[in-house]
Amino acid sequence: MIQAIKNFFIALRQIAVGNKKYYLWVSFLSFLALLGASAYIGQLSRGLIITAMRDQVSWGMYISNFTFLVGVAAAAVLLVIPAYLYNFKPIKEIVLFGELLAITAITMCILFIIVDMGQPLRVWHILPVVGAMNFPASLLAWDVVVLNGYLIINSVIAFYVLYRLSIGKEYKMSVIGPLIILSIPWAVSIHTVTAFLYNGLSSRPFWNASILAPRFLASAFCSGPAIMLILFQIIRKLSVVEIDNKAIFKIAELIAYAMGINLFLLGAEIFKEFYSGSIHSAPIQYLYLGLHGHDKLVPWMWFATTMNISAFFLFLFPKTRENFTTLNMACLFVITGVYIEKGMGLVIPGFVPDTLGEIYEYTPTTQEILVTIGIWASGALLYTFLLKLAIPVYTGKLRFFSKTQLTAARDIMTKLVATIRAETPLDEVVKLMLSKRLTDMAVVDDSDKLIGIVSERDIISLEVGQASGKTAADLMAAPTGTVPESFHIQELGKVLASRTANLLFVVNENGQPVGTIEGSDILKSLEDIRRE
Amino acid sequence: MEEDGRRSGGIDRRAFLQGAALGLATLALPLGRADASFWESFFQKHFREMNDDEIKQVIDRLEKEYAQKFGKQIEIGADKPIPGVLYGYGLDLSRCIGCRRCVYGCVEENNQSLDPQIHWITVLRFKKGEKWVDLENSEKYYNPEKVPEEEYFYMPVQCQQCENPPCVRACPTQATWKDPDGIVVIDYNWCIGCRYCMAACPYGARRFNWGSPKRPVEKINPKTHYLGNRPRYRGVVEKCTFCIQRTRKDPGRYPACVEACPVGARKFGNLLDPNSEIRYAIEHKRVFRLKEDLNTYPKFYYFFAYGK
Ligand code: SF4
Ligand code: SF4
Repeated sequence: MIQAIKNFFIALRQIAVGNKKYYLWVSFLSFLALLGASAYIGQLSRGLIITAMRDQVSWGMYISNFTFLVGVAAAAVLLVIPAYLYNFKPIKEIVLFGELLAITAITMCILFIIVDMGQPLRVWHILPVVGAMNFPASLLAWDVVVLNGYLIINSVIAFYVLYRLSIGKEYKMSVIGPLIILSIPWAVSIHTVTAFLYNGLSSRPFWNASILAPRFLASAFCSGPAIMLILFQIIRKLSVVEIDNKAIFKIAELIAYAMGINLFLLGAEIFKEFYSGSIHSAPIQYLYLGLHGHDKLVPWMWFATTMNISAFFLFLFPKTRENFTTLNMACLFVITGVYIEKGMGLVIPGFVPDTLGEIYEYTPTTQEILVTIGIWASGALLYTFLLKLAIPVYTGKLRFFSKTQLTAARDIMTKLVATIRAETPLDEVVKLMLSKRLTDMAVVDDSDKLIGIVSERDIISLEVGQASGKTAADLMAAPTGTVPESFHIQELGKVLASRTANLLFVVNENGQPVGTIEGSDILKSLEDIRRE
Repeated sequence: MEEDGRRSGGIDRRAFLQGAALGLATLALPLGRADASFWESFFQKHFREMNDDEIKQVIDRLEKEYAQKFGKQIEIGADKPIPGVLYGYGLDLSRCIGCRRCVYGCVEENNQSLDPQIHWITVLRFKKGEKWVDLENSEKYYNPEKVPEEEYFYMPVQCQQCENPPCVRACPTQATWKDPDGIVVIDYNWCIGCRYCMAACPYGARRFNWGSPKRPVEKINPKTHYLGNRPRYRGVVEKCTFCIQRTRKDPGRYPACVEACPVGARKFGNLLDPNSEIRYAIEHKRVFRLKEDLNTYPKFYYFFAYGK
């Protein structure tokens, strides 16, 4: 318990203390987060009417961001697969940062869902047992299950690895191996289920296409890793963490394939919609060409498509993907392209035209945008804190207290039951030793300070009869085998090893003896800790 | 002098601190609904998990809340579905003149918000001689001097009370369900306002309370049903219930829209009763249901009795 509290404060200090740049960055993000929070308070007091959503377009920017971020979270898996299954060393080392990103992204997803709810206080209605979760019928219930499961799995893996590293130990594959294996299909599932959430609605022809889930995955495997590539370069620059160029280029190559698949699937969809030209192609017409003069999304979609195609080529050719300028350009292109395509480009056309054919053009309001920015800032803040903690642990700079460091002399000593004075007659000393079963006795002065030690052996060495008339002062030896109360087990071990006697006296800060420790005490507590 | 200055400073500070504390307290009390029944309503169970006593308690509490809020006695019924009844609706497209009396009759009966305006019925206008079932070519906001118009025809749409309702399947909290008499209802105290049902409904039948529903007290219809037209909250979904407060209470009574229609285009009745009006229409007219390809099996039948 004490250990946990102590370590908590170490972690807190690690997050709270930084250089000027760090404070500036954190204040900047906090400012944006507060801005978002105040916009959200406005939404709470007036209702979702402050957004541009209406009955016709009943989901907007919040759910768009949610959808995009599920993809980012899922992409952590892209790094886990080669790292652990194929033991591709350069990537393995950085998986941790990917997992922390997944944790952040899911947290943001949950925030986006909460701000989108009309009755956020009733969120518990969605839980099983206490609420009335509509499982397995509702895909939204499935999403709640898989997203929270994913959050838990990734948190356990990341924090276990960090914890082991922080106490200076290797993590055990036997512990997290199964979790890592589980996390791979789980990552696929969060994105698949989110796709099915839209996909399963026969009322919305734009979503009700089987190609939706594969497209979701393909685009997620573009944007997620692209974000990580940029983050890796920042981490590399701001800390001593080394991230191999090989890892970066490998990930970039994988993005090229994912983007290739994404573009192919998009092409397939566009062909089907436009060539067959049924009334159900209205949403895609609205998206790329405009419908009955309504074309707010059109420039955005062409912009996104251009971004994606350019990024594809930049990632495809080794020359451009291994040059950091073009690589970073490509990353930004992909992030923007997918953010538009998998965000508003996916959600809005599901509602336009609406089920009765009405076209309501949705443009988010300022408050909606502020809340969105606030959540992104909170996410960035969370990731910053996680990194601030994880990086020094990872590089070995920050170490937590372990049990051996926290078990001190005072915790394992045998309390002192009796002391003697210099003038105590030896007869009395012998009586005390026998009645209390002591082998050594502490001699103290008027202020109870330890001034010497009388041992059984010294008394035995006297010849018969010599003891009478003598006092402790005649026999006592200087107090050399003493240790402060605060020494931890390892230090105690060292002191004991350097001495011939098997007993140490523990003294408090005033030099007063408070207890004794034998070699067997140390052995026993080490064994206890090991067994834990 | 100094003494005074300091004291007044102290008072100011105290007043300020008190104000701040009060502000924090209201923030902490969710959404400023500080009344005692807040927690009771917060922990209210799912409607279908309550027994009759619990339902009665909830209704007593709600009636008190409404009385406090509106200064008017509002009666909340909880009449159960009548065994052997499955409600169905018929709409004679050859008669409808697009006057929207049903729309306003519905609003009068069902206590929808007047600001922002919420309508449960949408009347669509189609040009004669053009594509029809292509809803995209319909007009919702038509506004002529006089109806009917020579070159147009009209099609009202409201909740179709699907036998296989996609909205119910979608709802993650079971806040909306289909009762045995075929009416799809919503518990306004259980709905979390996620609006997944709105995305799932193929008929644009569901409405969300984007803002706080507003309606002058004198316009509130005090005869209500828990699952129907009782006053709603901000942030929950609502829709047509075939006037559950009428049709369950007095079997045989028509929904408000049926009564409001000046040309008798609207028919209503028990699908299980072979002698009902609605059965007659289905068996003798050319009927169809909207978006039949989706297999939602609406209990809302469109038909043509006569016409050109
Ligand atoms: S019309 Fe819409 S709201 Fe009514 S039951 Fe069917 S799906 Fe549900
Ligand atoms: S908005 Fe309410 S009724 Fe509709 S799906 Fe969500 S919880 Fe269910």
